[in-house]
Amino acid sequence: MAALGTSPTALTDAADVLALLVLLSEFAMLRSSLSRSQVRLYAFQSLCVSVLAGFVAATQHIGDLYGLMGMSFVLKVVVVPMIILRLVKEVRVDVTDSHRLGVATMVLLAIILSVFGIFVVGRLPVHSKSLPILALGLSAAVILVSFLLVIVRNDVVSQAIGFFSLENGVSVASLVLAAKLPLIVELAFLFDLLVAVVVFGLLMRVHHGRARTLSTRTLDRLRG
Amino acid sequence: MGAVLLAILVVPFAACLVCFVAPVKVAKVVTLSSGVATFGLALVLVPSHEVATAASGWLRADALSVVFLVAVTFLYAATSVFTVGYMRPGSGASEARYSRRFFIGFNLFAWAMAMTPLVNGLALLWVAVEVTTVVSALLVAIGDTDGGVEAAWKYVLIASMGLGIALFATVLMYYAGSSVLGGSYELFYPKLLGAAAHFPPEIVRLSFGLAVLGFGTKMGLVPVHTWLPDAHSEAPTPVSALLSGALLTVSFYAILRFYQVTIKAIGPAFPRDVLLVFGLASLVLAALYLASQRDLKRLFAYSSIEHMGILAIGMSFSAPIAVIGVLLHVLAHAAAKSTAFFGAGSVIAKFGTKEIGRIQGGVGALPWSGPMLLLAVLGLGAMPPFGVFRSEFYIVEGGLQHGSTALCAVLVVFVTCAFLGLSWSASQTMLSPTPKGVVRGEVSAWMAASMVIGLAGLVVLGVHPPAQLSGLLERAAAELGARR
Amino acid sequence: MAAPELAPAEIQILQDLTILVFAPLVSGVVAHLEGRLQGRRGPRILQPYYDIAKLFAKETLVPEDASWVFLAGPVVAFACYLTVPLLIPVLTQYPLPLGYMGDILGGGFILSLAGFAVALAALETGGPYAQLGSSRAMTFGALIEPSILFVTFTVALVTATDLPYFEAAAVRSSLGQAIDPAHLLAAVAFFLVVLNDTSRIPVETHASTLEFGMIDEARTLEHSGPAFALLKWGSAMKQLILYVILINVFAAPFGEAGSRQLGPVLLAIPAFIGKALGVGAIFAVIDSSFSKLRLFKITEFMAVAFLLAVLAVVVLFLGAR
Repeated sequence: MAALGTSPTALTDAADVLALLVLLSEFAMLRSSLSRSQVRLYAFQSLCVSVLAGFVAATQHIGDLYGLMGMSFVLKVVVVPMIILRLVKEVRVDVTDSHRLGVATMVLLAIILSVFGIFVVGRLPVHSKSLPILALGLSAAVILVSFLLVIVRNDVVSQAIGFFSLENGVSVASLVLAAKLPLIVELAFLFDLLVAVVVFGLLMRVHHGRARTLSTRTLDRLRG
Repeated sequence: MGAVLLAILVVPFAACLVCFVAPVKVAKVVTLSSGVATFGLALVLVPSHEVATAASGWLRADALSVVFLVAVTFLYAATSVFTVGYMRPGSGASEARYSRRFFIGFNLFAWAMAMTPLVNGLALLWVAVEVTTVVSALLVAIGDTDGGVEAAWKYVLIASMGLGIALFATVLMYYAGSSVLGGSYELFYPKLLGAAAHFPPEIVRLSFGLAVLGFGTKMGLVPVHTWLPDAHSEAPTPVSALLSGALLTVSFYAILRFYQVTIKAIGPAFPRDVLLVFGLASLVLAALYLASQRDLKRLFAYSSIEHMGILAIGMSFSAPIAVIGVLLHVLAHAAAKSTAFFGAGSVIAKFGTKEIGRIQGGVGALPWSGPMLLLAVLGLGAMPPFGVFRSEFYIVEGGLQHGSTALCAVLVVFVTCAFLGLSWSASQTMLSPTPKGVVRGEVSAWMAASMVIGLAGLVVLGVHPPAQLSGLLERAAAELGARR
Repeated sequence: MAAPELAPAEIQILQDLTILVFAPLVSGVVAHLEGRLQGRRGPRILQPYYDIAKLFAKETLVPEDASWVFLAGPVVAFACYLTVPLLIPVLTQYPLPLGYMGDILGGGFILSLAGFAVALAALETGGPYAQLGSSRAMTFGALIEPSILFVTFTVALVTATDLPYFEAAAVRSSLGQAIDPAHLLAAVAFFLVVLNDTSRIPVETHASTLEFGMIDEARTLEHSGPAFALLKWGSAMKQLILYVILINVFAAPFGEAGSRQLGPVLLAIPAFIGKALGVGAIFAVIDSSFSKLRLFKITEFMAVAFLLAVLAVVVLFLGAR
């Protein structure tokens, strides 16, 4: 079933399940109405990605990836959620209450997007030694659903989490396709993410400072 | 030559660091000298026929890089002249904290944009473009207006999502290469280009498509351009000039690097089609929108989208002269757009508003900036003797050589439409009689001087590009697979 | 001396009897456990048996305008619930003769027929709450159908048949199969379906008869006497059947008899009851931990079940390269 070159084993299935958890947490983010729970879901998703990185490091004997796993754990599971949670706490706005569509509609759209993503990837002639191809399809689905998350949500926290989960999806894809990417490059990517997080946090604060709300409904002045 | 690269790496960054502690006047001088020095360093690289490398291969400057480097550093220099006048005392914009943040960000932004053509490899390219995104997002919001914050949030969100897709495209290209180059390599350009002929075609196709979509978000290609008019109009004017003139071209450079690898792997047909689709959409949409703009800077922002569309269409023509035209257009557009924004800055400072309906009699009120703004608009509309005329002429000639007569006709028609839109607003603001209460006189000599610099560059490019520059353009076009 | 063997027909009847006899027991244990978890003493474990016996002794009252459908409904439902155990793996790993009569879809149809009969009977009464319950039950039943279908597709894609016996065999074949992502997704999706079909939290609450939230409970409001006894027994059997499908097809198909010998077959009975009680305990815990969803949010619940079921099919179908 999976493409580790052999018949499916418990290990490849475990990797698949991890990738699946990444996608499922993406869906849960679509649904959740509290900012706090979205951030925690993101932390959980990043945890799955880190464990997946450790998994690849162990099975493929890539020492670099252990370091990467540690750094991404610290950054994405600890630091980023902390930054955003602190902002949410200061702002004292709990419920995002910002769906533009009903939950069932969003879930249906998300299903369509995921199936599309998995299907397109399934068509590619990709053979990976590090993770089953299903993980790549699931990461494509995560990327597409994160776009949906950004589009249908009306508050800055959800949109920022949508962007961060997009990066998670790309991380999973890179674990499948580019597990042996040189460490320097991986570190550059991570550093970049950190800078992006700082900027997002700053802009969220500035937005809240001006508009007194975390909703983006006020951001409709500029048109045409 | 490697030393030049290292110098370009160091100088703007050092300027940024100095601005952390320097008072406003010193910061202005430092920025100005850094801009001029970096431009000079870039010019040193122009005549050289060999590829310069530094930092054990992490920095690399071939002809294509130098073209874009010249564009970026020219803008850096001209805008730093403008900034001296923009941050004049009493303008409200020269508060100590604001100006310190501004200069730090300005220099850092210019540094990141200068780095992008110089780094070697698709991975670092992505990192550099991402750095430019985050720094410029902060600069857009630095004015702390409602519009600025809204524009900055939209910008950083849309551009970052686009760059996420571009990262996916980079990973895909890495995977395509790993079949030939092994599991672990650094994505340096020479290696990629050497091995590209053996890459698996479907992967490269998908990677290129996603790269155009992702980097196209930052370049302002329709339909992922929606952040552009907001960000360019709400940012402080020097930042708008840098965004329109330099940042969009740097994103185009990223697409060109993917193009370079892709045509070696799967031939030019597919990349050209992709670029054509996006380019046409951008040109048509921008030309139509230009007719209905009410905000001066938004007007010029849409003009940027139009020119980016022209760049993409130009790349889709296969004749070498079209590619030379595209590269020349990069330089010419940088000069013209910056001049236009500088003029807009003077006008807005004079009249206190960005709305076209409320600005009357620019030529009368601003004896230097007014006419120069008109000249810049003429330049943007591809009138001779300006550089944009020459570059668009090359592009259309290339298209006719290629046999796409219909496309060239469409191109010319929509460029004319765009010019109509631009000149309508320009004449309304500039050529109408000056209202009573407005005092005649320049807002700042420095701001006017920056326009002179921009126009001078534009005229030089149009009338007689220096031979060494032409040689550079031909070498760069050859690198993109278009030999004469 | 060879161990005594049972004829296949006898085993089949034994399956039916097992479900029939032990269904109220499972109900009783779950109710008792729920009570304990909520800090009460809880009803007696054998209470459902006493209830059924008591009801058989009572008289039947029929509303004035109701026709024979009102009395036929519970009987039809009961008959359906007696039929389904013939089709699914209860005690044995191998298919029994009548087991080929219908596949999972067939079993699903028969269960729906039972629900339909009860709903018709409720409509007959003319009472507002009964009709409310019927319409809600039919609506939510329709909404959860796609999930059931996709779960069935998952089974079909794995084993190329619809027969539940072979899916169970596939799960038994390797432990790794149990954590196969498609399998997990299908199991969780089916778990949610069972939550809905047995009228548990978060869809409906057993504990009270609050009419505004009642779905299944409301349908049986007007019945009395032996018909009511059949209804209660039938719903307990339905619950046990669904547990059986969940356990013996998806989650833990162990302990079933591999041969026709008397010993293993008889041992299969307590094994199966034990597993059912385990699942019942999980349901009891869920009952005590969550609150009932508001009616319009139940569609979200169904959307989640549908999502998981669709993902199961997609993952299986496209992950198999």
